[in-house]
Amino acid sequence: MIRYTLRRLMLLIITLWLLSILAFSLNYLFPGDPLTNMTGVRTSDPLLYEQLQQARGFDHSIVLQYTNYFSHIISGDWGQSLVTQRPVFEDMQVFFVATLELSLLAMSVAFLAGVPLGVLAAVRQRKLSDRIIMGISLSSYSIPVFWLAQLFILLFAVKLNWLPITGQINPLYNIDNRTGSILLDIWFSDTDYKLAALRDAAQHLVLPVAVLAIMPLTMLVRITRTATLEVLQQNYIRAARARGLSEPHLLWKHALPNAMQPVVLQLGLQFSILITNTIITEAIFNWPGIGSWLIKGIYERDYPVIQGTLLTLAGLILLVNVLVELYHAWRYPQVRKELYAEH
Amino acid sequence: MRAMRSNPKQATSTFTQCLQKWLAPLSVTVLAACSPATESEKSRVIPEPLQHGLIYCSEGNPESFNPQLGTSGTTVDATASQIYDRLLDFDDQSKTFVAALATDWQALDNGTRYRFNLRESVAFHQNFMFQPSRTFNADDVVFSFQRWLDKNHPYHYVNGGQYPFFTSSGLIRLIERVEKVGPYTVDFYLKRPDSSFLANLATDFSVILSAEYGEQLRANETMGMIDFRPIGTGPYEFVEFRKDILIRYSRHQEYWRKAPELEHLVYSITPNANKRMLKLITGECDVIPYPLVNELQALDVDGKIKVASEVNPNVAFWAFNTAKPPFDDPQVRQALSHAVNRPAIIDTIYSGNAQLAHSLLPETSWAYSEEVNRYPYDPKRARELLAEAGFPNGFMMDIWAMPVQRVYNPNAQRMAELIQADLAEIGVRANIVSYEWNTFRRRLARGEHQSVLIGWVADHADPDNFYRPILSCAAIGSGNRANYCNPALDQLLIRAISETEQVQRRPLYDQIQNIVSQQVPVLPIANSLRFQAHQADITGVELPPYGGISFRNAKRLSPAELQQADSDAKSDANSGEQPQ
Repeated sequence: MIRYTLRRLMLLIITLWLLSILAFSLNYLFPGDPLTNMTGVRTSDPLLYEQLQQARGFDHSIVLQYTNYFSHIISGDWGQSLVTQRPVFEDMQVFFVATLELSLLAMSVAFLAGVPLGVLAAVRQRKLSDRIIMGISLSSYSIPVFWLAQLFILLFAVKLNWLPITGQINPLYNIDNRTGSILLDIWFSDTDYKLAALRDAAQHLVLPVAVLAIMPLTMLVRITRTATLEVLQQNYIRAARARGLSEPHLLWKHALPNAMQPVVLQLGLQFSILITNTIITEAIFNWPGIGSWLIKGIYERDYPVIQGTLLTLAGLILLVNVLVELYHAWRYPQVRKELYAEH
Repeated sequence: MRAMRSNPKQATSTFTQCLQKWLAPLSVTVLAACSPATESEKSRVIPEPLQHGLIYCSEGNPESFNPQLGTSGTTVDATASQIYDRLLDFDDQSKTFVAALATDWQALDNGTRYRFNLRESVAFHQNFMFQPSRTFNADDVVFSFQRWLDKNHPYHYVNGGQYPFFTSSGLIRLIERVEKVGPYTVDFYLKRPDSSFLANLATDFSVILSAEYGEQLRANETMGMIDFRPIGTGPYEFVEFRKDILIRYSRHQEYWRKAPELEHLVYSITPNANKRMLKLITGECDVIPYPLVNELQALDVDGKIKVASEVNPNVAFWAFNTAKPPFDDPQVRQALSHAVNRPAIIDTIYSGNAQLAHSLLPETSWAYSEEVNRYPYDPKRARELLAEAGFPNGFMMDIWAMPVQRVYNPNAQRMAELIQADLAEIGVRANIVSYEWNTFRRRLARGEHQSVLIGWVADHADPDNFYRPILSCAAIGSGNRANYCNPALDQLLIRAISETEQVQRRPLYDQIQNIVSQQVPVLPIANSLRFQAHQADITGVELPPYGGISFRNAKRLSPAELQQADSDAKSDANSGEQPQ
């Protein structure tokens, strides 16, 4: 296990390092001045620009420029936005938490609803409920996120008037934006209307979370169903059944834990897809997270912001995937066995 | 074997029950989160911030919080009437200047010096860094004006040092200096008499800042904050700004006029016009600017939304290059003016959201004259005039059409096509010409065109702003797209701004309008409207024709008041229909 962990971590570090080289070269590939792209300081501020030129080693070789760049990234100096002149790293933290709130909620909804539905479909294989679940999951899997979002907005917000369309909360609630997560912010705030504000925030969450959750949910339903069916046909299940174990016991204790193995592995992959969809969803629902910030940055040609958001999103996806793989290997010994048997 | 088979079946149904139990709370929570807007909401009290607050879904981020620094309408809408006050205001109803921070003023020394007496005990806003120790006085006026007048002023170059409105209106060259005479008396020294001076002081750009705040920021070496954490005397205090998300204001409790009814005012930044409309329908916005009027009326089924329109001081016109034959002949220009079916253009290009313009001045201006030549659509008269001018068989000409949308003209290309068809009826064959916008303007400035569809948006109410920039000899190469130079007209224009009293200026502008409409160097086409849509229970949101939106008198009606207002409106309408 230690060897595997080290190998994964090495891989993570190497990938992150390659990512930093890519991000570094973007500064030269974007139009304009590389130092301005990197730091957000324009030549119109000659004093600061010259200082940075020296600090960043721009009068030296490209290798030194890179090492300088790398140490700045590590120490949290990600330059400043070309539009707002605010430090990117500082703003990133708030936007990052907002994105995390949205994607974690969506992932939990997908997991908590997808897995039971998949098991249900497997247990009721080829019955009506199975066919309904599979039919719906297949059709919703084929709807693109941006289209689904529009449909939900038109139906639930405009026609039925149940839910609001954009933002985290009705802006008339004066909630200090400290962490970026609206639920936490309300919780820590000293507003007199905590309950009403929480309720309002929950309403704002429903549509984006639902839209985001659909895609991983349908995937999880299908994977869980297949995995459960496969496990249920295994000999040890038949043997247990023959010994007269009750079916719930059989399912919970013997079938499900093993059926979860491929599902867990899928979580990492689904998270990557979810993050991609988060960018679209945030832009549609004006969710103040990294995704909508990235899109704004692209519109405004704000290179330090584009670079920072790309680094963060790619880093997040890599990290989550490695963690899921590690958990997978730690939790399921047979996986480890396979891994080591190969080498 | 049979027994074994039947067993799992029974058991499976127990799992499903169990699973359904597991799923049940999930679906309940989702449903619970979905439904609150329906029954439970009605019985519950609406939380206080929502009752006394208003959400305005603005179309973009302000560039700064000081209108002195820019001319963008978005910045003016977000700041000018909310945070600041001016020395005087322009009252659109009575078409006169009314006292604001100045209680009265008089022109001295033949109009080269203006003395303003200032209002006492006007409180400034406060924020977490600044507690005002004194009320508004002459120092604040001097500070606010010297900032852009005097290049040596410590704040002149802070945040860019560009003051586009004051440069383009000529105010920066007109005012020689601003002097404090007493604690509540200020003198403005002008280089020459100019009757548009007061109009310029009443625009949204001539706001009053706090000199004390400026000093404090200077001591703290955070001078840049003056335009981003603003302090003013206006009806709302700045609370916070989050780019792309919101601007938050709260009521200024010690406002010198009656404090506003609203306690909270939030600008929710929504650049997408479709989303703005949908948010108005879902109730997330109370007021929106620039609505998609036709779509909104189709979507608003139960009449919860009202659309208000205001004639914006803009004018779209067709300018003839009077430096080139045959357009140097007034008769040809008159003939072309009669040939164009302008009411059809209003219907087609503006979907009826504009007024037919008869003069460069909008009908709302005090100087507007009813007695101008109106050039009704009359192809027969056009052919006669053309024959008199020596073109019985017509001629070939170019119409230049802007490649971009402007407030005054949503589609110049299509407009050119309509005019082309109209001209064909009198035997004039027109080509439509267009270039990329910057090239287009460069070529216009060189006078390469024969005629062009373009327009003008005024900065303030003074009629001078509609004539000198468009038709004076000095404006050739910039705003004068007709390349029209008439020394007699120029003289009249100068005389009209040298007078200070409206009574004396009015006949001069009548003469000017007569000359222009008789000569038609430009054919006015439309004054387009500016729209705003709001929820039925919101009143008092003001959209003055010259300037930004104002929420000073805005309020939310309670259901009872709303009913009252509705029935009042109905009885008014009924009594109006009855024959006298």
